[in-house]
Amino acid sequence: MIELEGAEVSVTVPRAGGAPIVRTLLAATTLSLAEPRIAVIGANGSGKSTLLRLLNGLVLPGRGRVLVDGLDTRTHGRRVRSLVGFVFTDPLAQLVLATPADDVELSLRRSVRDKHERRRQALALLAGRGLASLADQSVYDLSGGERQLVALTSVLAAGPSIVVADEPTTLLDLRNRDSVRDALWALEQQVVVATHDLELAADADRVLVIDAGRVVADASPSVAIDAYRGLMSA
Amino acid sequence: MRVLSLHIPGTSFFHRIGTGWKYLVMLGLTLPAFLAGRLPLSLALLGLSLVLLSTCRVGLRYAWTLPRGLWLLVALLFGYHAISGNWTLGALTCANLLVAVYASRLITLTTPGAELVDALVRALRPLRRFGVNPDRVGLAIAVMLRSVPVILDSFGQVRQAAQARGRERNLFALVAPVVVRAVGHAQAMGAALAARGLGDESP
Repeated sequence: MIELEGAEVSVTVPRAGGAPIVRTLLAATTLSLAEPRIAVIGANGSGKSTLLRLLNGLVLPGRGRVLVDGLDTRTHGRRVRSLVGFVFTDPLAQLVLATPADDVELSLRRSVRDKHERRRQALALLAGRGLASLADQSVYDLSGGERQLVALTSVLAAGPSIVVADEPTTLLDLRNRDSVRDALWALEQQVVVATHDLELAADADRVLVIDAGRVVADASPSVAIDAYRGLMSA
Repeated sequence: MRVLSLHIPGTSFFHRIGTGWKYLVMLGLTLPAFLAGRLPLSLALLGLSLVLLSTCRVGLRYAWTLPRGLWLLVALLFGYHAISGNWTLGALTCANLLVAVYASRLITLTTPGAELVDALVRALRPLRRFGVNPDRVGLAIAVMLRSVPVILDSFGQVRQAAQARGRERNLFALVAPVVVRAVGHAQAMGAALAARGLGDESP
């Protein structure tokens, strides 16, 4: 359960020979996110990523607060990040070590002390996603979809109860997009995903439409996607 | 082809011994070569490194092949010394360089990256009392190793973009975007590390 209470994010941009400009990335937003599958859609630069980064404390609100299972992201950042797994658009930026097995092990480091047991569990988790044959390959030799599935496996290995994904399918071809989408929607964790993929959004329980740093629609997929289409053609 | 080849799982002698022993073998091969500074010894140690690598049973081609850039470096080193009239020193420098590369490969080829970092973290543990956080150092090194190919890759991309616009001869036009990309990559990776709670651990 994630709650935003008047959370607002702005940055101050210094200007040569004048007062600095304050730019609002996300206007004061109050939301209660309880549905198992939530999609966030909106134009480039509308504030989707900012909203998502608020949910795990990567970005802190300038005003208001964000609570995850009752924990404030400002004061309990570490606890919140262990509850909320985050999948980035570019899996190469997310995979910290050179091979899938090593990277999944890195997530297990905190929970599994014995290194043989850790290796065994990492390989089992990869096998569970059908990635067993890739465990010891360089992450560079994987396809975009495989990288994203490895990134997802690493995130899940840390045992989060919520998964937040920022445009996880944007860099992928159709086949890979489908496999990442299936993997994401099959999770038992609560999923919040920002996307330009309206087919992905259509399978959510609830869809938020963001425009110019504001939530302008918050409804069922069909209603929200229509609102977004109207917005984009206006 | 990389300078330090990637781990290949196996069951050979070197795959089975502890990481600490591998580091000792690596030092045993490289230190005498560098300290003694005798060409016959360095060549013998180079031969020994190649033989030891062949016992790892990962295919000689994979174990022995070096990237073209490294050969270029070796050729430049040797050429420089040969021109300045001391070809023995040139041969010695090159042999020592190759001993170091091949001896290090003995480790990287037979050890998963995570274990390499683990061994380093164990070795750094005594420094804890001086305020060193071994886990953090290990993670930093892993991230550094992981970032090298990213930088090389972005250099290739930027060069192609410059070629497409006919600007490939301008060094600044190549370096500036690579630096900007490197900073961007560092930020993205920093966010990814923070999101996974890595480096968050209390010291």
